[in-house]
Amino acid sequence: MNTPIVELKNVSKTYSTAAGDFPALRNINLTVHLGEFLGIVGKSGAGKSTLLNMINGVDELTEGEVIVSSGGKPVSVHNLTEDEKAQWRGKTMGVVYQSFQLLPMLTLVENITLVMDLAENFKPRESREKALELLRLVEIEEHADKLPSFISGGQQQRVAIARALANDPDILVADEPTGSLDSITADHVFELFSRLAAERGKTIIMVTHDMGLKSRFTRHCTLVDGELMSESHTHRKGKQ
Amino acid sequence: MSSSTRQRTPRTKPKADLQRVHDASPEAIIELRGVVKKFSNAAGEFTVLKGVDLEINRGEFVSIVGKSGSGKSTLLNMITGIDHPSDGRVIVNHNDIYTGVSESQRSKWRGKNLGIVFQFFQLLPMLTLLENVMLPMDYVDMYNFDLRPVRALELLEMVGLEKFANKLPVLVSTGQQQLAAIARAMACDPPLLIADEPTGNLDTRSADAVIRIFEQFVQQGKTIVMVTHDPSLTSRTDRNIILSDGELINETISRSLPQLRHRHMLEFTKLAERHTFQPHETIISHDDSVNHFFMIKEGQVEVVLQKKRSQETIVSQLGKNEFFGEIELLRGGTSIANVRAGTKPVEVLMIPRDDFKRVMDESPVTVEAIGKTVQKRLDEHRMADPRSLKR
Repeated sequence: MNTPIVELKNVSKTYSTAAGDFPALRNINLTVHLGEFLGIVGKSGAGKSTLLNMINGVDELTEGEVIVSSGGKPVSVHNLTEDEKAQWRGKTMGVVYQSFQLLPMLTLVENITLVMDLAENFKPRESREKALELLRLVEIEEHADKLPSFISGGQQQRVAIARALANDPDILVADEPTGSLDSITADHVFELFSRLAAERGKTIIMVTHDMGLKSRFTRHCTLVDGELMSESHTHRKGKQ
Repeated sequence: MSSSTRQRTPRTKPKADLQRVHDASPEAIIELRGVVKKFSNAAGEFTVLKGVDLEINRGEFVSIVGKSGSGKSTLLNMITGIDHPSDGRVIVNHNDIYTGVSESQRSKWRGKNLGIVFQFFQLLPMLTLLENVMLPMDYVDMYNFDLRPVRALELLEMVGLEKFANKLPVLVSTGQQQLAAIARAMACDPPLLIADEPTGNLDTRSADAVIRIFEQFVQQGKTIVMVTHDPSLTSRTDRNIILSDGELINETISRSLPQLRHRHMLEFTKLAERHTFQPHETIISHDDSVNHFFMIKEGQVEVVLQKKRSQETIVSQLGKNEFFGEIELLRGGTSIANVRAGTKPVEVLMIPRDDFKRVMDESPVTVEAIGKTVQKRLDEHRMADPRSLKR
């Protein structure tokens, strides 16, 4: 549990706009450990999505370093070229967003095998088997050959999670994954994440604006105006 | 672009050829014949589509509207081959898409013939916009391998996104994501684009950009069928199909009396009697009592005032989707003018007097709108023949 898998060292991100420079992240230091279900909580505009984009290398940082040690091999994410980053991301990280982004014209199982085929991790015959196994894990296997529009929003999100797991990444990053779900469905998604962390050793980093979810993570930290507050710090603030 | 994406080869060769329907309407790209869709749940059986007949011609820009639960999405699912009708036939691009066709055949057929755009954009988050647009070409194995990125870039140029081709979806705005999804829908150059609330999640400016691109596609001969709630979009389509409680509303009725509630439009759809009048045939004679409300489906009628010594004045010519007979039905009395068919045959829909009056009693907005038309016509008559109002 104490093996660091993601380390952010003095990470800053500044956006230049017509109105001047806007610091979205200020000197972030954060270590995430293998098998953790970490919540990053903060209001809209606090920098949560920007922080995720630093971790998965989608956006460039202004200062600092991000080291991800998947499979025991440390990689300085922002030193990779775009092509290297895309390949590395495909194998190391699964992403889940608020909207499920399933392709409407493909069945659920095809939505997952597509991602496997893109990364060429498995032989075609294996990929269907593996995809069905993932659908079983998220309890949607019976709907495998349906199109996304025939299942509920909560079920679609579970398929999106299965797809994020397609290439067996060590890390899942999730941006408001329960944002468009009702509370019972959101609960199921949380249970699934907890299970993936506890039983499969996946590291899950999730951002949310919903402060009420804090207790659901194994650990959480709060982001305020681009600055990371320690847990105790937010706690003290809350009591004032 | 990652090399892994470039090297991907499809698992199976597509077999997209379905059987052609020999009696399909030559101009129609979509034909629904008596389509019924029933769903069963714990509460019993529920009929969502109740025998829908519909033809959409090649090159038309069509909007489908209806209240939530009216069957709009089910209707789209019938056209896209996503759901199966309980009864009836669906013919798309001259192919019967449900008879003797396996799911995988239909899936390949869909890939080549249909572009689909949904309210949420469904771009794969781990692929760049360019790679997202290339996906359908990979999936149905269309275009030479080296040509795919070139074509994808052309499509992105068409929607104004070439600068963002190598960005991941998360780094562009939601409006831009939807434009990329539209570019992807057109990847395999399908003749038909199906869109389910394509602007539902966009601000007005982005929505306008989407519709302008749709208009370009229509100019190029593509057919677009779009479900929407937004009246500012329906006004820009060639046809507006309204679904009410699983049934289609007659388009002449919805165009003639747009203020009417959908349930009343549906009632008129069921009550309407069709009649064709030959050129110059009298439809209503001056001083006759009027027993129907008339809406013009095709052709033109002339409203004529008879003056002294058989001299006549044509006070107005009414065309497709206009109505007549309303003055007498709403104000009482006999006809104040002659109405006759123009130089070509005229097809009209007729609603019996009592049904028309009953529905008007329940729809003050329509009465008000008709009242304005009545006033306009009376003014026209007054100018043509000052005697007509002294009676």
